Parts: sequence; structure tokens; C-alpha cells
Amino acid sequence: MSNQLPEAFADLEHFVSWGEPTEKLRMARRIGSTMAELTDYYSTMLPRMEAIAVYLDQWDLTDLPDSVKPLLYMGLMYMEAAVCVELFKDPDVPEASPAEKLNVMSEHAERALLA
Amino acid sequence: MNAPKHQFAEMYPQLGKGPVSTESAVSKEFFEQEREKIFRHQWFALLKRDSDIPNPGDYFVREIEIIGVSVLVIRGDDGQVRAFHNVCTHRGNRLVHDELGCTTGMQCDFHGWTFNRQGELAYVTDEEQFYGLDKAAMGMPTIHLDSWRGFLFVNFDETPRETLEVAMGEFNQDLAPFEFEGLECIGRYRYDVDANWKTTMNAFQEGYHVAFVHKRSAPDAFTGNDNPYCHIPKIKLQENGNQSLAVPGAPDHKLSPTEELAFKFGSTFTQGVGNTEACPGTWQGEAENWGFDLNIIFPFSRINVGAGWCYVDAFWPIAQDKTIYELAYYFPKPIKPSQMISQEFSKIVLRDLSREDLSTNEVTHAALMAGSIKNIYLSDQEVAVRHLYKTVTDRVNGS
Repeated sequence: MSNQLPEAFADLEHFVSWGEPTEKLRMARRIGSTMAELTDYYSTMLPRMEAIAVYLDQWDLTDLPDSVKPLLYMGLMYMEAAVCVELFKDPDVPEASPAEKLNVMSEHAERALLA
Repeated sequence: MNAPKHQFAEMYPQLGKGPVSTESAVSKEFFEQEREKIFRHQWFALLKRDSDIPNPGDYFVREIEIIGVSVLVIRGDDGQVRAFHNVCTHRGNRLVHDELGCTTGMQCDFHGWTFNRQGELAYVTDEEQFYGLDKAAMGMPTIHLDSWRGFLFVNFDETPRETLEVAMGEFNQDLAPFEFEGLECIGRYRYDVDANWKTTMNAFQEGYHVAFVHKRSAPDAFTGNDNPYCHIPKIKLQENGNQSLAVPGAPDHKLSPTEELAFKFGSTFTQGVGNTEACPGTWQGEAENWGFDLNIIFPFSRINVGAGWCYVDAFWPIAQDKTIYELAYYFPKPIKPSQMISQEFSKIVLRDLSREDLSTNEVTHAALMAGSIKNIYLSDQEVAVRHLYKTVTDRVNGS
């Protein structure tokens, strides 16, 4: 399989499937993961997040090439993993309204990237 | 900064201090009265801004379940935003099924009648079989639509009892300097809640619950040694039911590695705390250790404002025991990918935090329905809950 991430981030290639393109999918991926998986993702991504943001900022969101979108989606997915590790100590939100009662809608920036 | 005892009871003595009956949350008859006397006549915040539909043909559909009406809001070729019953004037079929989009016109999938983006009947298939249709008078039925600071509202009365501006009351002055322009919706959520709308909303009207319900999502953002119970520093309760509450921010809030990262490429929802940048249109200037403000537009929607961001939400009553909680975050329109990543942090923390808020509603509602308790006991810090019950009961009883 050919690499889907830019050369500078080849070390993150094994995490590329975490880069789901919508918030709804990212939340589902998070809740369906174990804490071990989420912690692994978080710990690997945290030291690379700044470089990812700087790299992506070569472009505006409106002209972001499709080839680098997986990296952006992985950056957004990092935030889902981060709250599990830093706040909830759980893939889901304990003592909360169940995730299946929540409908995550799609908004402007996400829709524009998918268009 | 602990609050002086009983300060709000002194400010609003007409609200009393006694227990509040649960009757208005458990009675189906009372709910019917709310529908007839309040909901049918109110301005409904659609939780959308006119900038959400910037181009001709941009539209969204909102079901207003409590009135039973599907509303289509669409920008016409003339640039004007209008609201219509989402219905074909032929025999009443629903016209638009998608929740949002951009369209050149609306074609009914029953017999192909077509309406333009101004809601006018543009084309009738097999028209010669009809008996002289007055097409000019057969446009989609209109609904009163008005906007306040860019937020869209509708009213279903033939002639609204009050203008939207009057309904907004003191928010016209108090929120006037707040900069809503340039904010874009970055996240929208809907939750099904099996509870009365007031029981649901009550969980969002005080700070007392924060140390308990949000111990995981916000262990130190709104509570700290100086204010362990998240005492509300400022409250304004308006005669018409509108409310404004300042939520404190904790000055000793510690940034996690991820919040630090989010700050590096933007800002986060905690930035109001200790912020030296003035946020006009908020309680920041008058409240020590300000976090953000809750602004409740009676009866059940809100425009809550923070330092450079806002979130709008509503506790849509569906039935006496059913509510939809809808929530949308508006942040500065992200231009760069790093801004989107930065905003994702606040959005996800607040999204998950709102799920915690909703955790108590259904079991509370069930207990009230069972009659396990007949009254609730409210502290001075829960005065906004008391004010909601009093305003609703007064309206239903016609006083």
C-alpha cells in the first residue's frame, strides 16, 4: 500500500485509518476504541501535533489539497483521544447521556472539506 | 470569591424562598396549557444565523414539533431570507426533505408542482386540467421571520403579539456591543431527552452542579479553592422571563498539554478567565473571574456568550415528557487548518460536558413523575430555576 501521508509524517502512517473525515465518525471511532489504543494514539500524536499544524498551514482550509486532508483529520481525531486520556480516563463520557441519544450534525468547515 | 448569602432573594423578593411544586413539570394538562398560552405565541429561535445561508437558494428546514409545523427558511434571488410552511399548496405534501442545502427551486414529488426561491408557485404540471388556478395567490404559505443581531427567529401567530425586538427585552442593550459578526457554526448537536423541558433546562441554569456533574470534563475550569461551588457572580432576571447569568472562570485553571496546544494555534473556551482583553456585551467587566454568560430568551432558547465565541441552544419541548436539546457552537470562522484543530479542542470538551449536563434529567423526570417528591428546594444560587417556574406558571395562569 502506498503512503497516504506526506513524507515528513511517514512515521504516523500506521495511524492513517484514525483520520475519519467527519466528527460523527471520529466520535464513533473513539468510543469503539480501548483506552490502550487511545493512549497509544494520543502519546504518538501529541509530540507531532505542532509540526502537523505548521505543515497544514501552508494552505488555507479552502484550498487544502485532498492529499493532505488525512493529516488534518488525524489532527482533529487527536482531540477526541486527548479528552479521553486527559479528562475522562475512558473512551466514552462516564455518567453522561448515552452517545446513541446524540446526533452529531455536520457543519460548514467539515462539509466544505468533503465537497 | 464566595457569594454573599441570599443576595438574589433580596434582589428579587417577588420570587419567594419556599419549595417549588413539581406539578408544572409532571402534569400533561399543564403542558397543553404551556403550548396554547406560551409556545404558540412566542418567537422561536432557530439557532441559525442569516450568515449560515449566505447565497440565493441556500436553505434549511426545521421541524417545530410543538406546533407541528415543518419550516423552510430560504434566501431568495433578491437576497431576502424568508420562512415558509414546508408544504405544497396543491394538496399539502411536504416539499423539501433534506435538512439543508442550496436549491434552484422546490419541486413537489407528489405531482411535480414547482416553487421558486421566493416561495412563489412557478409551474403547475398539466395545468389545463385545473379550473383556472390563481397561481399568483398560491405561493408557499409564509411564516413571520425576523432576525436579531443575525440570529433567525419565527413566530406562528397571524399577527405576533409582540415584536422580536420587544421579546428580546434588555438583551437589546446588554448584548448590543457583542461581536457576533464573523462567527461561524463549527458544531451542531441534537440530543433526545426523555424528560420535561423545564427539568432538562434546569440542569443548565445554575453553577451549583458544576463541581459534581462536571468533575471530569471541567475539574478546575469553573471551580477552584476560592469558589468551590461555582457561585454565580451576576444575575439579571427580566420581567418577561429572560435571564442573564455570569458563569465564573477559575483563575487557577491549569492548562492540559492539549489545551496549551489549542491556545498556541488559537484560543479556547477558558480564555475569558483573567483575560485583559475587554469583551463588551458580557458580564466580564462587572464579574470578578468571569468565564462566560448564559443568556436565556424566555421560554427555552439561549444565546450564551464567551470571550470571542458563543453558543446557542434550545430545550425544544416535544411532549410533556420529551425534549430535544439542540446546541450549536459559533467560533471565529477558521481560515487555517491549525485554527480548525485548535477549535476542535473546545468543541469536543464542551460537547462531552453537555452530555454530562443531560445525565440527571431522565432519572429526575422519572422520579418526579412517580411522585417520589412533590416539591423541589432551591438555594439562592438556583434563583434562575425558581424564576423560570414562576414565569411559566404566571403565564399559564394568566397573571
